[in-house]
Amino acid sequence: MAKQMAFYVNIAECVGCKACQVACKDKNNLPDGIRWRRVFEYEGGEWVNQAGTLIPSNLFTYFVSAACMHCQNPICLEVCPAEAISKRADGIVLIDDQKCVGCRYCSWACPYGAPQFNEKLGVMTKCTFCSDLIDQGGHPACVDACPYRALEFGDLEELRAKHGNFDNPAPLPDPSFTNPSIVYGANGETEVSNQATGHIMNLEEIPNEHA
Amino acid sequence: MNTRDWALITFTILTQMSVGSFLVLGILHYYASRKAGMKEADRLSDYALLSIIVAFGLALLASLLHLGNPLNAPRAVTHLATSWLSREIFSGVIFAVLAAVFALMQWRKIGSFAVRNVIAWIAAIVGLILVFVESQVYMLPTDPSWNTFATPITFYATTLLLGSLAMGAALVANYAYIQRKDSNGAKVQAELLRNALRGIAVASVVLLGIEFVVIPLYVAYLATGSSAAIASTQLMIGPFGLIFLLRLLFAFVGAGVFGLFLYQIAQAAGKERTLSYLAYCAFVLVLVAEVLGRFLFYATRVRIGV
Repeated sequence: MAKQMAFYVNIAECVGCKACQVACKDKNNLPDGIRWRRVFEYEGGEWVNQAGTLIPSNLFTYFVSAACMHCQNPICLEVCPAEAISKRADGIVLIDDQKCVGCRYCSWACPYGAPQFNEKLGVMTKCTFCSDLIDQGGHPACVDACPYRALEFGDLEELRAKHGNFDNPAPLPDPSFTNPSIVYGANGETEVSNQATGHIMNLEEIPNEHA
Repeated sequence: MNTRDWALITFTILTQMSVGSFLVLGILHYYASRKAGMKEADRLSDYALLSIIVAFGLALLASLLHLGNPLNAPRAVTHLATSWLSREIFSGVIFAVLAAVFALMQWRKIGSFAVRNVIAWIAAIVGLILVFVESQVYMLPTDPSWNTFATPITFYATTLLLGSLAMGAALVANYAYIQRKDSNGAKVQAELLRNALRGIAVASVVLLGIEFVVIPLYVAYLATGSSAAIASTQLMIGPFGLIFLLRLLFAFVGAGVFGLFLYQIAQAAGKERTLSYLAYCAFVLVLVAEVLGRFLFYATRVRIGV
């Protein structure tokens, strides 16, 4: 069994089709507004006006698919007052909806926006790594749905050995808060979170809770 | 802002006001007993004590409205090891129990004064711990507008400011009640009231001064922080600028201007009616100011990350 389950997301291959996001909603039967996996459309650069002609200057766009990072220091677990969040032996972080009080404190703390409040159930919900499928030897639904094979899953150390240990593409936050179990593959334009110059373009789809 | 957010504003304001009131009332009772004896001191404070217990009870009820799944509420104290939120609920319940036991003993005059005094002191200390714990709930590394020195300082300022002025209002209400029942016997009470109000007035002017130093420092500090911190500052002076201004104005008029009037007019006897109006107005204005301040506290938070 893996010591720490993790996702690998190859930004260089991802075209932003959001099949992963939709497969997740389908598999987990998520209501409107809840997206355990989200795809951020991130872009930067500008058009410069040169004598009436608009010239692109350092324009770039890439997509970052992100779900719960099943962190090695899960801040959600630490702050939860009800002991409703636990980390399994394989590193998967789960919310027990029988124990959750629905205070949403975990969503104040998590810098990845992973725990999301289900109004109908009155509790917090988040990516389960499809642990039910994993336990039967299956795969997370998002991984199987990716038409570009940009998503993988496995043990964190094995993924790092294979793909490196890049874990902080913009617009994701500094990994030091929680130590996320994630590996990203970068393309030439991918920015690092602390030196971000671009911005998220699909805030209509994925509203920043404070925007 | 929705019902659940307003539940938090109500909960934090009422718990802090109750703790501050409990402490202030204890101090006032001590000075009154030295000046006029235990019986008059009890007459001054017993009804006010009841109002504190009611306010804290309402705070605990409001906290339930914040929960999506209130049936699980008892579980909220199970993670004391690492969760400040668990510790908050735990210390809140301890304070509620101690304050209620003390109030009951004080009302029915159960036990000796010394025993009651010890329980009151323990309750007051637990209350002050509760306010500290409450501030730690918000000191999350991913929420830069909360994770500053200003959170504990302003929580304590709110505690003492609202506590003082709430007790000012409670004491004038109590005095009106005593006077209606027995206008001759109210003379000693009138003097105790004036002394109390003068102390309250001094406290509120000082606390206002502290708020007016901390708030600008806080905004300046945020403006030099991370992008999320700067976004908070922009919300504060941009879309919420008017509320921010009103918050400062109401506090200034309530605690500052009315505080000074209160101090002046409480010097001489015979103006109890004017004092009453001033004490009520000061309390209401500062309550509105602090509620607006707490509203901004939640509304201008910008979390780091996505």
